[in-house]
Amino acid sequence: MNYQSNQQYVSRRRQNWSRNQNTVAYTSAIKLGPVAHMVLVALMIAVLGLIYLTQATRTTGYDYAAQQIEQDIAELNTQKTDLEIENARLTALETIKSSSVASSMTTPEDVQYAQ
Amino acid sequence: MNIEIQHINRSRILAVIVVLVAVAFSMRLFYLQVVQHDHYTALANQEQVKRLTIPAKRGLIYGLDGSTPVPLVMNQTVFTIFADPQMVANPEKIEKTLKRVAGGNLRNDIDELLLKKDTRYQILATEVSRDQADMIKKEGLSGIGFQETSQRVYPEGRLGSQVLGFVDYEGTGRYGVEGGLQEELSGDDGLLQSVTDISAVPLNIGDQNINQPAKDGEDVVITIDRAVQARAEQALADGLERSGADSASAIVMDPQTGRVMAMANLPDYEPAEFNKVKDAALFNNSTISLPYEQGSNVKIFTFAMGLDKGTIRPDSTYLNTDSVRIEDRVISNYVKGQTGRITFQTALNWSLNTGAVAVLQSMDSDGEITKSVRQTTYDYFYNKFRLGQPTGIELAGEVGGRIISPERVEGNAVRYSNMSFGQGMDITMIQSAAAFSALVNDGEYRQPTVIAGKIEGGEFKEAETSSPERMALKSTSSDIKKMMENGRQVYSYLDKQGYKIGGKTGTAEVAVNGRYSGEESVGTYIGYGGDDEPKYVIMVRIAADGKHMQGSGDAVPIFTELSNWMIDYLKLQPKG
Repeated sequence: MNYQSNQQYVSRRRQNWSRNQNTVAYTSAIKLGPVAHMVLVALMIAVLGLIYLTQATRTTGYDYAAQQIEQDIAELNTQKTDLEIENARLTALETIKSSSVASSMTTPEDVQYAQ
Repeated sequence: MNIEIQHINRSRILAVIVVLVAVAFSMRLFYLQVVQHDHYTALANQEQVKRLTIPAKRGLIYGLDGSTPVPLVMNQTVFTIFADPQMVANPEKIEKTLKRVAGGNLRNDIDELLLKKDTRYQILATEVSRDQADMIKKEGLSGIGFQETSQRVYPEGRLGSQVLGFVDYEGTGRYGVEGGLQEELSGDDGLLQSVTDISAVPLNIGDQNINQPAKDGEDVVITIDRAVQARAEQALADGLERSGADSASAIVMDPQTGRVMAMANLPDYEPAEFNKVKDAALFNNSTISLPYEQGSNVKIFTFAMGLDKGTIRPDSTYLNTDSVRIEDRVISNYVKGQTGRITFQTALNWSLNTGAVAVLQSMDSDGEITKSVRQTTYDYFYNKFRLGQPTGIELAGEVGGRIISPERVEGNAVRYSNMSFGQGMDITMIQSAAAFSALVNDGEYRQPTVIAGKIEGGEFKEAETSSPERMALKSTSSDIKKMMENGRQVYSYLDKQGYKIGGKTGTAEVAVNGRYSGEESVGTYIGYGGDDEPKYVIMVRIAADGKHMQGSGDAVPIFTELSNWMIDYLKLQPKG
């Protein structure tokens, strides 16, 4: 024989609270067993793991972008250095001495000094 | 009822098995994760965490062009091209491409290197420029790799090579500024420790990441003025050709600051090709590393000592007999005939050895070169004029020299008589030039230096000049300058007119195995020039194996050429 009571156990404390506050407590009709709880917890952990992985992957993506930018900066710095070296070579004394401007210069015959 | 009991038993058995398995797993996990934690962490780190050294950029070396810094030593990125012969698919194409693009940088036997299939790394070319490397990369050659390195480049070529020095293959500065300022120029390498991916790209994940940036070396500005340096080297080259000499050196200094404007030595070398130099002596900067007997220009210091002690005046006299006996030795004049009672000015003009000895004798009431006189001379030469000891100039390879103390047996009267005219003591050019600069700079000594400042944030931050130290009386400076200007009169027709120019020659026999052969001598000239006050000091040395080089005939023309040019370069106005 199956007997099922419609009454639910309500603690004294809750009874007091309900009485004092004039509120109604609802009870979900869906019952979750221990297996369902475990599955839910596992799902939550999986979701959290996915969120972590997503964030970690995104950070890693930034690392690649940062690495690329650093490479670009290094490349530009190297080009800048190469240009500075070229500039230094073009303005070196030997280069100036052998320039057409220098070869057309002459020694002044007379020098006057401003006092 | 039996069924239920059986069911319970099997459940329990299963539960026990599960528990046992779980316990076994837990124990294993405990062993792996707790007991073996350090071991596996180390293995994981070894696999995932990379420690990369971030190389510090070596500081640049600038010289001056007037007061503007100009680069003398820079860093350039170049590439070493290597091959993995096991990965090489088309050696003919590689050889052809490399010869076409970087023929001058290739090793001779690359065809053989590419076929060495039992090896994984063969260097094919070195010092390949970025443009060349880019062209080769475009060909997409398999089995070829590029290794980036930094090398020193010298926009001014071999200018001042012995002053600059070079950086060896270990990245250590050798000789000159590179060696002397190794610590400042090299900087400190940084460290990057990070979890990396398979391509060694550092990732932000992990809790052991370290990013310690490299501290680049300082960009140093040296006092070497490239125009003065180039002109000094040219004057030396002219002098070598004129005299048929083997080697020559020159220093140009600012006597008011102690700053060295030029340090030239010939023969020199190409610093970018230091590895091709066969004679390591070429690396030496003779002006700081070659102590030698300088001869009569040391008389300036002897006369200055007498003036400073107040025992002689330029117009005070002594009896010249062209020779003087000191103990068992007779010291003679090179130029004879100026006998009788003559002034010290005359003795300086004719560079008489007896005059220099007479200065020492003047410091004793009996005219003897007593130990007290020798001690005074040593005190002046070594402690005040700082001869025979390193000056502390910021260059690698400076040596002290030799001045014998009177406390030693060799420090006798004969030795000190010889020292009075520049023999029996070995001193370097920088020591002489620094002491001479002090003598013409109102007696105030300035530490000789090659440091003009630093480049910080693109700005030239000038270094402070050293504090002056009293070396001789101001009156001594004034007197000795007049004596040297008077002595210079014999060459005044060579000088630009209207300027104060003075100096002193020196010709010293070269001692071979402790004996003067009489077949070889070194010529020296030290002098100064300026308008109202000395603006430059120039010292010249010229030498040749087995030949006589004279201070007057061989060193003076080099000084004069450089001195006249300096007057124009510094835009000095004649004062009548």
